[in-house]
Amino acid sequence: MIFNSLTFLAFIAIFLPIYFSLKGNARLWLSLFASYVFYGWWDWRFLTLISLSTFIDYYLGAVIRNGNILKERKTWYEVFGYGMLMSVLVLGLNLLSKTAFPQLSYLEYWYFPTLGLWLTFLVIYLTNKISTAESRGYRMMVVSMVLNLGFLGFFKYFNFFTDSFDQMLGNFGMHASWNTLNIILPVGISFYTFQSMSYTIDVYRKEIEPELNYLKFATFVAFWPQLVAGPIVRAVDFLPQFQKDHNFHWNRVITGTGRVLWGFFKKCVVADSLAPFVDQIFHEPNGFASINLVIAVFFYAFQIYCDFSGYSDIAIGFARILGFDFNENFKTPYFSQNFSEFWSRWHISLSSWLRDYLYIPLGGNRNGKFNTYKNNMLTMLLGGLWHGANWTFVFWGFLHGLYLIAQRQLGKPFGSLMSGLRFPSWMKSGVNIASTFFFTCLAWIFFRSANFGIATDVIKGIASFQGFSMVNVMNKFTVMKGFLLIGILLTIEVSNIRMHWNSLAFERPSFRVVAYATLLLLLAFFGSFGSGAFIYFQF
Amino acid sequence: MKKSYWIFATILLALLLDRAGGLLLAKITKDSQFRYSQLYNGKEEADILFVGNSRGLSFYQPYAEEKTGLKTANLSYNGMPINLAAPLVMDYLDRHQPPKVLVMDVSLIDSQRMDNKLGYQFNHYSPYSQRLSDLLKNKFPNDYYAGLISHLYRYNSEVFQRTFYYWKKSDKDWLLDRVISPNMMEDVDNQKLLRFNYDKNMVAQLAEMVKYAQQKGTRVELVVNPYYPAFIPKIGNLDTLLGDLNTATGLSVKNFENAVTQTEAFGDYQHVNKVGAKLYLDKLVEAGVLETKTGMNQQ
Repeated sequence: MIFNSLTFLAFIAIFLPIYFSLKGNARLWLSLFASYVFYGWWDWRFLTLISLSTFIDYYLGAVIRNGNILKERKTWYEVFGYGMLMSVLVLGLNLLSKTAFPQLSYLEYWYFPTLGLWLTFLVIYLTNKISTAESRGYRMMVVSMVLNLGFLGFFKYFNFFTDSFDQMLGNFGMHASWNTLNIILPVGISFYTFQSMSYTIDVYRKEIEPELNYLKFATFVAFWPQLVAGPIVRAVDFLPQFQKDHNFHWNRVITGTGRVLWGFFKKCVVADSLAPFVDQIFHEPNGFASINLVIAVFFYAFQIYCDFSGYSDIAIGFARILGFDFNENFKTPYFSQNFSEFWSRWHISLSSWLRDYLYIPLGGNRNGKFNTYKNNMLTMLLGGLWHGANWTFVFWGFLHGLYLIAQRQLGKPFGSLMSGLRFPSWMKSGVNIASTFFFTCLAWIFFRSANFGIATDVIKGIASFQGFSMVNVMNKFTVMKGFLLIGILLTIEVSNIRMHWNSLAFERPSFRVVAYATLLLLLAFFGSFGSGAFIYFQF
Repeated sequence: MKKSYWIFATILLALLLDRAGGLLLAKITKDSQFRYSQLYNGKEEADILFVGNSRGLSFYQPYAEEKTGLKTANLSYNGMPINLAAPLVMDYLDRHQPPKVLVMDVSLIDSQRMDNKLGYQFNHYSPYSQRLSDLLKNKFPNDYYAGLISHLYRYNSEVFQRTFYYWKKSDKDWLLDRVISPNMMEDVDNQKLLRFNYDKNMVAQLAEMVKYAQQKGTRVELVVNPYYPAFIPKIGNLDTLLGDLNTATGLSVKNFENAVTQTEAFGDYQHVNKVGAKLYLDKLVEAGVLETKTGMNQQ
């Protein structure tokens, strides 16, 4: 289910009144059920996957902290019972539909996931058997990592790696004979996998207590506002919020509604208005005058920002109405003056996840320049790969790694040069913001392109300066509308630094009424509806 | 309850502003000099009526009027599908003296190149036309009903942007005026084969429109506008399309695909620019598709 759909409107109209009329476990059951409906609306067969992922991390979390739990016979009965239930469920789903793996027979579709399921339990069982009380926690944390990354790797990267390997063999005149599996990428798998992983790691690090209430844990993993496109909510921040019921509160409704409306403005008004122009150019960039390519890259920078941060705003807004607080995921990233700052303002939940669970464990900036650069690069490469199974994403990560390294190397000399030139500070900031934005856009070209051929065509086309004139701008009305909307967005975001619109809306009802009504009118007059999903669903 | 007043106030204010905005934009739509506003005002009297998609904009009106001495109207729009072109032409014929000739570029009969969603962009004209209103209700019910709830939503389209743009100025010189880029010229051999995808229903809609015009006493000329010369070998099944149209309408389609041979007379493979448009209109006059005022007086 996507936020910008009539189905979601119906969903929220039913969900909210029931949610606030219930308390305790009943409310949790409703939240879990609604989250599974929300997720299953896209493809209900993959509910088995999210359910399995939840089940495994719940048990491993408990085992990591208390190894004795698996000695209890009752626990193994639960695991066995869950396995049987899932096997039957998968078989039932298979009998109803078999399009997840179209080239496999009914039987194969059943035994494939079922085999995976029992192998998973076998791995846990054997690891438990060979572990001592001292080593069990660490080993189970590793098993959790391997299983989570295994699911992610299979569904997201299996074909990517087999194709790349096949291509590599082809370069040596060899050819592999395996068939590519027609694997469907489960929506939001990268988000909920990282969310669950943060839980087991934090339990192992003793930063949080394991959650022994399965209902709370399952709701934490599948909570619908952020389930399919983030923000990636850490267990340490989110799980404690399930410890009490959140009553209906007008203050939360006021601020949450503002946030939701703002998110819809970004997504439906800005991002979806820019999308058709960008799609047209990036589909086949050859033949377009360079001015159109420049506009498309500029538009894409704002499309992806508004698409993704719009989703985060809607998620944060709805969570707030429901009584939960998520951390901010974006903080006007295009006003960053360098790339470290950019990564502290763009997709903050992912960049901080990578920092805390990858960059710092790798050594961070503690072991000299070379290791710092290596860690920077490795983190950004994996960050790129996280976005999708395509070398263009990896290259996007590589470029950002390179920018961070270049910034460390050249930041000081550049700063001295700027000081030497004695520019006023606003001009220095302007140059820094413009140059950071320029290089960010350069990297976006690779991120948006379906392959390197398209990316190089775009760059070559821009560099040729052929047809770089206003006369050659195509779809002038779409372009004018795009610039107008970006102008409105930037005006509101820049003025927000001084005006704090959300606080104003909270404090002054008259302002709130005008502001929210204006957003509704902007949605009606400029919004694009029915154009489809959020970009980050695919990641 | 007191704390929820702001919700009702927000909805009320949004509705009030929506209706006020809707009234203002309706006035702009009515006063605009854009072709469809003129159509529904009944102010677009013409001797020659042109129809087509973006290729139909090659019927460059200032030159056509200069060359023929007759008044022209053009209902062409980028990506115009036949299910929209037909009601527009019929509405035109109902609201004006029937033109002497209707010239239609039949390359709009192509589901791949037409904009299937263009119909809903005419939402702001739906109050003036039962045919448009029916089209919206049948093909775009969500947009139709959204337009009833929010009047501003009716104006949420590129067609309205153009309506606004041409509020105080004529749209008669609307044309793709650029010269094909050297890149495109070089890349022509790599272009995919252009095939016309169409079904019986589309042909029937065109035939119905032709019949309606003929009943009103308007001569109908079906033509194929020029293509970039080196691109013509890339056109696949044009003859089949022309044959089907001939069978359905009883008219023989005049094929001007290679009427313009100068490469610099094109904006891209499928569109002539101003230079090309003039050359093409000369050919239409020579071929007798367009009559001149003097010729008509002599008759």
